[in-house]
Amino acid sequence: MLLLEGFSTALQPVYLLYALGGVFVGTAVGVLPGIGPAMTVALLMPITYALDPAAALIVFAGIYYGGMYGGSTTSILLNTPGESSSIVTALEGNKMAKAGRGAAALATAAIGSFIAGTIATVLLTFLAPVVADFAVGLGPVDYVALMVVAFLTVGALLGASVLRGLASLALGLFIGLIGIDDSTAQQRFTFDNPTLVDGVDMVLVAVGLFALGEALYVASKLRHGPVELIPVSKGKNAWLSKEDWKRSWKPWLRGTFIGFPIGTVPAGGADVSTFLSYAAERKLAKGANKAQFGKGAIEGVAGPEAANNAAAAGVLVPLLTLGIPTTATAAMMLTAFQRYQIQPGPLLFENQGALVWTLIASLYVGNLMLLVLNLPLVGLWVKILQIPRPYLYAGILVFAALGAFSVNFSPSDVGILLVVGILGYFMRRYGYPVAPMVVAMILGPMFEVQLRRSLQLSQNDPMALFSSPFALVVYVSMALIFVASWWLRRRQATLEAAPAKEEVSV
Amino acid sequence: MSSLASQSSSAAAPAKRPTGEILFALVFVSVGVAGLATAGSIPIPPSETGIGPRAFPYIVCGLLVLCGAGVVLQVLRGKVGQAEDSEDLDVTAKTDWVALAKLVGFVVLHIFLIEPAGWPVAAAVLFSGAAWSLDAKPLWKAIAVSVILALVLQYVFGGLLGVSLPPGPLLEGVPFFHG
Repeated sequence: MLLLEGFSTALQPVYLLYALGGVFVGTAVGVLPGIGPAMTVALLMPITYALDPAAALIVFAGIYYGGMYGGSTTSILLNTPGESSSIVTALEGNKMAKAGRGAAALATAAIGSFIAGTIATVLLTFLAPVVADFAVGLGPVDYVALMVVAFLTVGALLGASVLRGLASLALGLFIGLIGIDDSTAQQRFTFDNPTLVDGVDMVLVAVGLFALGEALYVASKLRHGPVELIPVSKGKNAWLSKEDWKRSWKPWLRGTFIGFPIGTVPAGGADVSTFLSYAAERKLAKGANKAQFGKGAIEGVAGPEAANNAAAAGVLVPLLTLGIPTTATAAMMLTAFQRYQIQPGPLLFENQGALVWTLIASLYVGNLMLLVLNLPLVGLWVKILQIPRPYLYAGILVFAALGAFSVNFSPSDVGILLVVGILGYFMRRYGYPVAPMVVAMILGPMFEVQLRRSLQLSQNDPMALFSSPFALVVYVSMALIFVASWWLRRRQATLEAAPAKEEVSV
Repeated sequence: MSSLASQSSSAAAPAKRPTGEILFALVFVSVGVAGLATAGSIPIPPSETGIGPRAFPYIVCGLLVLCGAGVVLQVLRGKVGQAEDSEDLDVTAKTDWVALAKLVGFVVLHIFLIEPAGWPVAAAVLFSGAAWSLDAKPLWKAIAVSVILALVLQYVFGGLLGVSLPPGPLLEGVPFFHG
């Protein structure tokens, strides 16, 4: 089987070392407050510039999963809300830590992540080739439909403000237009500036928005004084008890099967899946366990953490088989692939089979390494969390500048980084989500090519965009997703209002 | 952003005139307008049978204008954006424009130092400058950390990973700083 060949590459000692390095660095950076998975991948891009494609992909697989793991540690131990995909974990995890059960919360998160990650990777292994086979038959009209869905879910569905999400999306599309038109080789919006002819590099925009923008934003309102950490208690009671295991295993599995499907469709990735899992656990809990919700229920950590990691694997299905990133982190992975001239899509499994299976094999390996690394190294992660903030953000600036400079070894790229960073600062300040911009910038050019191809085939009849049955199914499902999300948002609002009220009364 | 986070930030944010927010939304509008104005001059090759290289730019720029104008309207009607939350953020604090200006200044300085002084020097200046802007104390410690960090990064990226960072005149003669 092809996966075995993948393993035979991934298990070579050198590549195991790369996997370990990727996993370790990914977790360490992911633990840093304010750094989400997308920023982790963006910031760590330069480490792989000099590696061969297989090694680079292995490192990225490690960084991808490691970044996800790191985030949960942060939200359990740090006394402030974390990145969005683990914010649900913080609801219960933080309370558990305060009650002296931090180690148990970390353990159920880590084991749940491992189980979910492994099952989801197995599902990915079987599903991806099937989807790829199916995707070979898709025409430009179908791709247009899929990308419209990706644009609208990332732009309009996920943020707090629909208009700001779409504005961010449009700006990303615009930056994607700068440079030479793929179809006619005409220059567009280059203003005769030679540095713009090749377009604006994706790495500059991503690192600028995620790293520099975030660093500037935090610096503008930095919380001064010592870092408030919840101490992790040691001892026999701190570890998972028999009772904890009993209460955790079902949420782990439920989280997995909620997270993976949501990850595979462009319906919001990790955020939506963690919330859905949390809501499900809350509803299914009985008696005394139910009363614990809002005060540190272990199910509320186990389920969402599993869902989060399963969704992360699910996102790889459309990314690898269709070439469509549905989250900002996936957009960063795609950028990394493109640097090695690897174009994800239906033909990837045929043209670069060895490489893809190595990547998938290293996901299994990375997941196992994370489980082994994560728990014993909690002490180290706590140290990382305590890095004095001036050093942390100064370090992020240096790394961002390094990443930008090493794209073309041109100082003027660092200038572009600074401009994008300032833009990212104002976007955060005024509530514009940055993820749509990153996804739009990478999907925009592909979308235009497919759009023009489909219209050319139909002599410019726009109705042709609805001519294929697959596209129709996609549009109808999109309508359903929007209705469902509207309903979910109302539920989320009531659910989150409930624990807040309880706190007031206590 | 979840509504949980927004509740806490909207409760803390003082009411003030959203001039800056309107100006920022107008940036989107003006990029769109500039795009609409220049998209007409994109040359169309005579062989083109489809919608050509101008259609998509028109759509995108139109979207920019619409969304930007929509945000302006929303803000005028009192619906301001929810500033993003982050772990190290003090949402009640006033924006520290001085620290921001210092940080931007040090990035600019870094850009102009890379080629004449070499990457490690430029990186050390950026790190110690940024740490100083963010009130790192004591300053000598920040500078020491910056020098060590710059040299380690130069060694790892320039030496081990083969990313060709210019070592600069000071370190030109040290072999392990080269790729």
